[in-house]
Amino acid sequence: MNSIVNQFISAFSASDIPGGYFTLFATIVIISGLAVFGVMAVTALVAVYFERKVSAFMQDRIGPMEVGIFGFKGGKKFWGGIGQTIADALKLLTKEDIIPRLADRKLMMLAPFIIFGGAFITFVGVPFSEGIVISDFNIGLFYIMAASSIGVIGVILAGWSSNNKWSLYGGMRSAAQIISYEIPIALSLILVVIVVGSLRMTDIVVWQADHRWFIFHSPFAFLAFFIYFISAVAETNRTPFDIPEAESELVAGWMTEYSGFRWAVFFLSEYANMLIVSIVASVVFLGGWLSPFQMFDFGLFPESWMLLDGPIWGLFWIVVKAMILIFVMMWFRWTFPRLRVDQLMTVCWKYLIPFALANVILVSIWELIF
Amino acid sequence: MSTYFKEIFDGLKTFIGGLKLTMHHFRNRKDLVCTLQYPHEKWPVPERHIGFDLEDYNVIRSRLNVDLDDCIGCLSCQRACPVDCIKIETFKVPKDSDFDAGVTSNGTQKKMYVARFSIDMTECMFCNLCTYPCPEDCIYMAGGPNSHRHEVEYEFSKRTREELIFNFAERTEEEILEAGGEKYLAKKKGLPLPEPKAQNPEKKETK
Repeated sequence: MNSIVNQFISAFSASDIPGGYFTLFATIVIISGLAVFGVMAVTALVAVYFERKVSAFMQDRIGPMEVGIFGFKGGKKFWGGIGQTIADALKLLTKEDIIPRLADRKLMMLAPFIIFGGAFITFVGVPFSEGIVISDFNIGLFYIMAASSIGVIGVILAGWSSNNKWSLYGGMRSAAQIISYEIPIALSLILVVIVVGSLRMTDIVVWQADHRWFIFHSPFAFLAFFIYFISAVAETNRTPFDIPEAESELVAGWMTEYSGFRWAVFFLSEYANMLIVSIVASVVFLGGWLSPFQMFDFGLFPESWMLLDGPIWGLFWIVVKAMILIFVMMWFRWTFPRLRVDQLMTVCWKYLIPFALANVILVSIWELIF
Repeated sequence: MSTYFKEIFDGLKTFIGGLKLTMHHFRNRKDLVCTLQYPHEKWPVPERHIGFDLEDYNVIRSRLNVDLDDCIGCLSCQRACPVDCIKIETFKVPKDSDFDAGVTSNGTQKKMYVARFSIDMTECMFCNLCTYPCPEDCIYMAGGPNSHRHEVEYEFSKRTREELIFNFAERTEEEILEAGGEKYLAKKKGLPLPEPKAQNPEKKETK
């Protein structure tokens, strides 16, 4: 399969590089690690700016307008202040890193990096376009789900080690929430596995190229997309499911005692998780890197580039799809009030999971019939 | 069971209703956003009107201004000020000098030279008491009936406190010396008076 790791390995076996497999390993880790970190940082910078603007417009404000990059502010009426997030990031990195005296020092210093690591290693399996994926496993979907759940350990550690009642409440709520919402996510993603018969991300997109986008596979797949998306919003701890960091109740939840760089790491992971769930949603349900025009390909155009298809356009399309989903998440955030804890559990166990289970059974029957 | 599905239906309905509302605000931001980007845009200053036409009534007390050309240095405003925010330093123009202090717009010959006229706007309480005793109407509040003399100034915020002390008489040493203010300068600098013994006998002789 075509992936960045495979290309490295084939280039390595073709040439004679000193150092053996250690060099290969180090090269792959450093290069792909830097690339993933770059993607995460850019996502956070762009998404924070975007979020501030979206929230401002939805509340009849205009958001940041003053800070520019070398004097270029990006607009005068609505879209200005493009340097605001860069300034904020610099401020966060230079702030004092406070650790309370009675906190568990080691765990508190470790926790942000577990959350960050969970988001970081998830990117190994996340495809950005045809061939632009660090490693295309045969268990890709399973790996992404498993790796993205590692972060909850960091959340609990952060909540416990801070020695703060709000942090502990936040950590425990987060654990309950994330573990509950893993189930509808898994049950709605398993539909695509039933239909395609593979966990490999590339195979899922190839099936959609041959047939149709998975969201249009059947009414159940259509429903599964919404179940997945609602659960994904809950999984990323965003409003209306942000009870772990409920500002009006718990100050900042499990992030209460954090400041400076470690808090910035939390922030980075949150937006990286948003990107991950959006890309997974677009790969599994919305055709991944396929062009939307590919659905209307009735042989009118002889060349595939006329449909804006191919690896480069694939990157564009997947980013567009992910951005739209991220926008919808922001739209949710600035529309709905926060759920109570019992309401949160009700939504998951009484509404999403029964429908997701029914979906699994009905899609299996659908596959038997058609 | 029916309540279960009814709840789902109601939930979806309100869900979509809420999303519609925020999208309405997002899409119609051109009409709905009312933020004024203050330093770049400003509301127009409204024309003040108190319901009756009273030219003498100084309605708008925005900032004290001084027409220094009209000031005769009588110190009335300094004495009237309840908070002592007006600081005036004058000296008499020597009779034998050729310097002409000028004539005010009312036709009064000026006899005093105003070397310093500063108003500390951080202390000023806008009581307007200093404008009444002025015989030449040279100190006034900007705007209102005086709008032909000076525009209304609502925004004279400054970065430091010192910048809020407005100096209306910015005299250089040469100008003061030209007006015959050697004594004044010497007093200000704390120096001995310039050649008092040499001047006095001359004066006596002339007398």
